[in-house]
Amino acid sequence: MRTVYLYHLLYLLLLVAHLCSVSSWKREEFRNCNQTPFCKRARSRKPGSCSLIAADVAIADGDLIAKLIPKNPPLEEQEPIKPLILSLSVYQDGILRLKIDEDPSLDPPKKRFEVADVIVPEFLDKKLWLQRFSKETIDGDSEDSSVVYLSDGFEVVLRHDPFEVYVREKGGKRVVSLNSHGLFDFEQLRVKKEGEDWEERFKGNTDTRPYGPQSISFDVSFYGADFVYGIPEHATSLALKATRGPGVEESEPYRLFNLDVFEYIHDSPFGIYGSIPFMIAHGKARGTSGFFWLNAAEMQIDVLGSGWNAESSISLPSDQNRIDTLWMSEAGVVDAFFFVGPGPKDVVRQYISVTGAPALPQLFSTAYHQCRWNYRDEVDVEMLFPNPEEMQKKLAAKGRHMVTIVDPHMKRDESNHLHKEASNKGYYVKDATGKDFDGWCWPGSSSYPDMLNPEIKSWWAEKFSYENYIGSTPSLYIWNDMNEPSVFNGPELTMPRDALHYGSVEHRELHNAYGYYFHMATADGLVKRGDGKDRPFVLSRAFFSGSQRYGAVWTGDNTADWDHLRVSVPMILTLGLTGMTFSGADVGGYFGNPEPELLVRWYQVGAYYPFFRGHAHQDTKRREPWLFGERNTDLMREAIHVRYTLLPYFYTLFREANMSGIPVVRPLWMEFPADEATFSNDEAFMVGKSLLVQGVYTERAKKVSVYLPGRQSWYDLRTGTIYKGGVTHKLEVSEESIPAFQRAGTIIPRKYRFRRSSTQMVNDPYTLVIALNNSQAAEGELYIDDGKSFEFEQGAYIHRRFVFSVGKLTSLNIAPSAPGNSQFSSNCVVERIILLGHSPGPKNALIEPANRKAEIELGPLHLRGGNSPDVVTIRRPNVGIADDWTIKIL
Amino acid sequence: MKMKIQHVSFLAFMFCIVSIGGSASTPSKSQLEGIAPGDEKYYKASPDTIKCKDGSKKFTKSQLNDDFCDCLDGTDEPGTSACPNGKFYCRNAGHVPLSLYSSRVNDGICDCCDGSDEYDGKEGVTLRKREVEAAKLAVVKEESELSKLKNEEKILKGLVQQLKERKEQIEKSEEKERLVKEKEEKEKKEAEEANVEKSNFVEEANSQEGKLAESTNEEKIEILENSQSDQDVIQDYDDSVGEIAHFHNSGNGGSLNSSAEQENGDYADRAAKTEEESSVTYETGRDHGTEVLPDHGTELEKYASGNTESLSREELGRLVASRWTGENTGQQTGGVDAANDDDHESHEERPKDVQDEEYQGYDSETEDDSQRDDDDTKDLVEDFGDEDHGDSSSPYKSESDDELDLSEKTTSNPSWLEKIQRTVRNILEVVNLFQTPVNTSEAAHVLKEYDESSAKLSEILSRISRLTKKLKHDFGPEKEFYSFYNKCFESKQNKYVYKICPFKQASQEEGHSTTRLGNWEKFGDSYRVMQFSNGDTCWNGPDRSLKVKLRCGLKNEVTDVEEPSRCEYEALLSTPALCLEEKLMQLQDKLDLMKKEQPQSHDEL
Repeated sequence: MRTVYLYHLLYLLLLVAHLCSVSSWKREEFRNCNQTPFCKRARSRKPGSCSLIAADVAIADGDLIAKLIPKNPPLEEQEPIKPLILSLSVYQDGILRLKIDEDPSLDPPKKRFEVADVIVPEFLDKKLWLQRFSKETIDGDSEDSSVVYLSDGFEVVLRHDPFEVYVREKGGKRVVSLNSHGLFDFEQLRVKKEGEDWEERFKGNTDTRPYGPQSISFDVSFYGADFVYGIPEHATSLALKATRGPGVEESEPYRLFNLDVFEYIHDSPFGIYGSIPFMIAHGKARGTSGFFWLNAAEMQIDVLGSGWNAESSISLPSDQNRIDTLWMSEAGVVDAFFFVGPGPKDVVRQYISVTGAPALPQLFSTAYHQCRWNYRDEVDVEMLFPNPEEMQKKLAAKGRHMVTIVDPHMKRDESNHLHKEASNKGYYVKDATGKDFDGWCWPGSSSYPDMLNPEIKSWWAEKFSYENYIGSTPSLYIWNDMNEPSVFNGPELTMPRDALHYGSVEHRELHNAYGYYFHMATADGLVKRGDGKDRPFVLSRAFFSGSQRYGAVWTGDNTADWDHLRVSVPMILTLGLTGMTFSGADVGGYFGNPEPELLVRWYQVGAYYPFFRGHAHQDTKRREPWLFGERNTDLMREAIHVRYTLLPYFYTLFREANMSGIPVVRPLWMEFPADEATFSNDEAFMVGKSLLVQGVYTERAKKVSVYLPGRQSWYDLRTGTIYKGGVTHKLEVSEESIPAFQRAGTIIPRKYRFRRSSTQMVNDPYTLVIALNNSQAAEGELYIDDGKSFEFEQGAYIHRRFVFSVGKLTSLNIAPSAPGNSQFSSNCVVERIILLGHSPGPKNALIEPANRKAEIELGPLHLRGGNSPDVVTIRRPNVGIADDWTIKIL
Repeated sequence: MKMKIQHVSFLAFMFCIVSIGGSASTPSKSQLEGIAPGDEKYYKASPDTIKCKDGSKKFTKSQLNDDFCDCLDGTDEPGTSACPNGKFYCRNAGHVPLSLYSSRVNDGICDCCDGSDEYDGKEGVTLRKREVEAAKLAVVKEESELSKLKNEEKILKGLVQQLKERKEQIEKSEEKERLVKEKEEKEKKEAEEANVEKSNFVEEANSQEGKLAESTNEEKIEILENSQSDQDVIQDYDDSVGEIAHFHNSGNGGSLNSSAEQENGDYADRAAKTEEESSVTYETGRDHGTEVLPDHGTELEKYASGNTESLSREELGRLVASRWTGENTGQQTGGVDAANDDDHESHEERPKDVQDEEYQGYDSETEDDSQRDDDDTKDLVEDFGDEDHGDSSSPYKSESDDELDLSEKTTSNPSWLEKIQRTVRNILEVVNLFQTPVNTSEAAHVLKEYDESSAKLSEILSRISRLTKKLKHDFGPEKEFYSFYNKCFESKQNKYVYKICPFKQASQEEGHSTTRLGNWEKFGDSYRVMQFSNGDTCWNGPDRSLKVKLRCGLKNEVTDVEEPSRCEYEALLSTPALCLEEKLMQLQDKLDLMKKEQPQSHDEL
């Protein structure tokens, strides 16, 4: 079997390649915290510096509102400090929203930017209208605190003096709090004083800062927490390391600032392509909680190591582990969400209810993508396919799809029709002087459409119609690159912060969401192109909270070394935790040439990434999986084939994510939240709740330690060997595979037949692999739909649950009884049922209601050649995948 | 279970069609699907069980090709996709046999020229759905075209009528003028006769008349020229409309690729250019040297040291871009064109073996064994072939198709009619009929416009009648036979070539002589039969007739023609139009019947 069926997508970047040595990451090109005035200021503040108290507490429009005013009135010669407006809203499912902004009635110089189009409209309908609040005097306080209901078991406390907001279990322990350390600071917009210089200069760039300082910072504490996670995108560990505190080396905070970073390093708090300001805390004692700050300006977050505040006089309840964090942003408002959990999946669901569920991808896009910058040049391509439509048709005829790059920068050239149109209509982002911003990117002098403007967004979307995008066909999908945005001659390789957007919004206020709006407009374009009937596939490099609704992301320009393979796992796990489940890293590493062993190992791990793509920089040697000799080709084919056999399972998981936000690929602790040994494990990961995968991240590894959590056993995916749970196993590994296990008590639907692309697998029969637990029971699910349209939203899908117990397998319908007005049917059958952990002996199984028998024999666990152990197999039960039936072992 | 039986027996049915003889033996014909002829011995050798070739296991004969993988090496499933490591022997009737990976069996893509790798009919169902969708769209389009044409007809008729009236008026006044002239001449003549003796005068008068005639000729030439340029205007107008459309399109397409201008050329060229030019823009300012020029180094240093003010904005942009591209920025001022030229040069200079290696890397899509490569090359050739010739049964477009294309051209331009209207209006306003003598150039203009408009009108009328005729046809309950309208299917049986043109006629050709087997009558047997009747009369017998039985298949293909009773012909046409899931079931029943009725149905005529 050669691998032609494996290549599903062909990416073509029509660029010309050259060889030259490359330099590596240039730390000095990017601002560190000390060079960033708002960050330096916030970091240098001492606990208790905040002197604000909450006053005029009341209920209005279903919210608890208050004014934040200074405790001591200012001295006469000082300028009076204007009050801030605080409001607390409560939403279903234990979500607290806290907003703090300047008082609009006091005519601030400018309205601060609130990030648009991230919160889904459905969320606002879930608001609980508060009717009343109660007062309570907390021990030792001179002033009252106000308490409101949050959900059954939780309440919100607004402490008046000093001002503090926290969520606690009813009458009991704290969960998440804000300003407990008195670090809250809100720089209000004001008129420039005489002689004052607001400009900031960095590396020859001047930020005019016409509105002056406007930063916000505050501390957030998570109680009963052992670790904090989230706030991508950083190339770092899953459990976030402390950035300050005793024993912590001088470190930068975790930075959230979307940047096109050349050759990012594998372990750094430095901000790269995307930003999701959402943090999750988890601990054995309390469970899980979360905090999300909806703010798209540059953000810096410190994780404070225990003892960081030794000199502080503030004491907090010390009966539970606590993690303190410091959040700093250059601009915007406080619009923050507290999630109470209590389980990991609850927190993710709560976050998703605010920012929207991940889109259900087309089936084809969950298979393998083959990509390269570039294939080698248009001469190659033109020799074979003199026109792009022809090429796409040929690919489509074999069920394959193509993805092309569409970037935001537009070449400033009068002969460029689109540029002319955009500049005539005034659709570009403006520079500080009001002219079209002109920056340098691939085509040279370029401008950038202002995607904040809904009119421009829809104009952009129209450009993807078949008529407008010449040479596009229905099998063509899109990749948005460079949308941080990348500006080669801009400060820190991006757009100046004083550039101006629609509604006089400064770029500094929305920077982290620019790529998000661009991604959104492109995905909308593909939906329009298909008359609302074809799910879009748009891969984006930049992202923000909510990007999960529009497509996939990948971790950008990584490097072909073992460290980058290793860090790809925590990076993808972190993205999954924060909603962006459809994510992956470039298999093989973008820069550099992987040794065949590294490449094979990367395919073995990458086959489990939700977004599975091989990609390489133009200067690298060709590295398609078939170029490394027969043995390596076999190994990579095997890895890719594992993914294809698991596509029904993956697709079911994508649907689960689409319903609940629970990521396809999850940290172990999400499935085993009480098992402390899993909390900082980011070498292994779960695919759904049934598979555990352990990467091999070192050269010539002979043995690997794998911790298998839980009380149940685990079955090796290749050998069927059973391993005990709750133990670390030292396993021998061969080049053939990385350790992967099916959890006892689960059923995984698979498709064993080889095809040249996933499109051809649609009608293929299923194999059910049942891994029995120690009570000889198991269960699993399968979701099927047409794989491409939106009909599933009208109920056109099949959703089955398989339950095995007492020697009988039952297939149950778990789709809602009246799911909608559309239907989906499948004639696919189950050709094979494998029973792991069942003793051999039975010869027959009885199928009901058909009342016929199927043979039971010892058959191969997998069909991919080489050695396969024999396992108990029900041969050709051929029951309909969509039907109700039972199969009883006789 | 049910499904499987259906598969296997349907397979047997296909065998009937492709006329492969053989007696029913064990293992049966269908069970030997996918086995190379030389290998059949292996499977027939032992009476009950067969060994997996790798020696790992044994399997029973009933497990041969039962669509379940028993041997990891695929021995037991040569004819299905059940074993990942299997090979399928494709007979490739009429061609060189092939060995296919079993992953390609029934995957919905035809890999064997004879289609034998796609026997389960599922793909047919998909093809049919596609066909039905396309047909529905096409019918809607044609219906709207028809109503548009009728509308145009109405307007045009009015115009032609007006022009006709005007033309008649012109003719009338010309007639009047002629009479006046005649009268004048007559009077002149009489006068001449009266002055016959003044002969010198007469000569002078004659020469003057000659001049007059000359000047009339000149005028005529001018009219001709005018009409010529009028046509030019129309022509230009059409062209420019096309041009605008193209520019609009390519401009946008290009822009999405950050591309620039497009040049003239056909559509395909433009599309290709879009890509090409996008690459040009990407290449902007890059250079190909692999050495770092000294000033490049200096820039890097400057940049690293924070001393970027000395770099221009553009230099800085190029410098940063060069990190990804690995190019030096020594020639910042080099324009797009220069960079582009460099590229082409460097391609030419690339060592040939490097290129070859890359091509292989690219087009092999995967496969490194040569058989595979052949396979794909074949794919390419085949695919191109398909574009050119359509199905292998080579249905060709009937003559009427060209006409349709032609007339579509005249009507597709929305502004065409408006233009005529405008022209006519202008003419009617400008031409002053009551001016005598009649301005000959204006009169010619009217005449020309009249002729053209009536020609167009008759074109529209004939298009209307063709469309009406076409749309009157019954294309099946879901219009699944719509695409048959312009197709003919051919099958060669010995010396005869049978040509079946649905909705039109069927014939049998032998050399240069053609016998009509019938004219289109209707569909019969719930759209499972096409009937042609009233063909050429048989000597001493009935008129010839033809029944075409329809079967589900992946291609439109006439697979068999017989003459079961004298002058009553029967043909078998396989087509995706019949690939309905329920029909697959019915086929099952039919198959059973056929088995009983005609155990040796494959004999040639």
